[in-house]
Amino acid sequence: MKRGATTQLPRPRTLIHPGRFNPVRIQSLRSSKGRHVRLALLPGVSLFDGLGKPLADIGITSASTTILGGYFEGVQYCVAPRDQQGRAVIAYSKPIPAGRTYMIFGNATLGKSINGSPLVHCHAAIRTESGEVKGGHILTETCIVSRDPIPVLVTSLDEFELRQAYDPETNIPLLQPYKESING
Amino acid sequence: MGEMIAVENGSMGRVAYARIAPNEDLVQGVEKLCLAEGFRNAFVRGALGSLVDACMGTIDGKYLQIQGPAVEIVSLAGEVRLGEDGSLRAALTGVVADPEGNVYGGPFVAGLNPICMTFEVTLEEWLPAK
Repeated sequence: MKRGATTQLPRPRTLIHPGRFNPVRIQSLRSSKGRHVRLALLPGVSLFDGLGKPLADIGITSASTTILGGYFEGVQYCVAPRDQQGRAVIAYSKPIPAGRTYMIFGNATLGKSINGSPLVHCHAAIRTESGEVKGGHILTETCIVSRDPIPVLVTSLDEFELRQAYDPETNIPLLQPYKESING
Repeated sequence: MGEMIAVENGSMGRVAYARIAPNEDLVQGVEKLCLAEGFRNAFVRGALGSLVDACMGTIDGKYLQIQGPAVEIVSLAGEVRLGEDGSLRAALTGVVADPEGNVYGGPFVAGLNPICMTFEVTLEEWLPAK
């Protein structure tokens, strides 16, 4: 919902989640040194494969990446309205087709899914085929890199790993950092 | 206010990743992540997540509120600086998308951007040359 700017200080809302409140509010880990890679997403591959496979080949399975802009074919994205089923505070919408899309700026986190396979969580601002600028959660398997390679800056997370795990408080699976590594 | 410095030499140090939980403030959450990991100056290297509602500042001191939930963070950049008074201060700027996918941009106002489901952030420590 669009609103104009106001002089009145808005009151932040505290929402009630379905699960028990976790007293740990910041789950963090660190590496002693940053390792960076400049990656090109190659034409014809999906964002998911173009990011995950070359990084896996050089031993990177957890990373924070910045997608520096480029054209994709067949982009689909989701927005996050309230969960009508009441299982969580919000639920992703059905995929919204954006067609041939220019990704203006995106951030993607690479980690491992609950079953150990690669997982790419991506949010981006996009200009859709119709010319509108939109934003949301990008379905990375559907996005196929158009004819030009797309540059990505990768910050590798080397001394820990990101894994998707069920979060009881929000009642959804979320990427979380873990010290120990699970092979696979 | 101290003297303005145009160029600050330095180097990158450690890298921290965090998942920040619901109802925590985006801006102060990033400052607390620096407390947790012992960073004094840092740059945001990657971030995504969602907010209950978003609040961004305007040049004339007003507040632009974007109603959720959830408002998705689709782009975020910024830094954390150690102030002369010894406090940490994050300055975060970005683009968000409302529940219809419409986008808005600006500086996030500290204390007024509660996280909705999760916020994933990577910070890279900045070590100013002495």
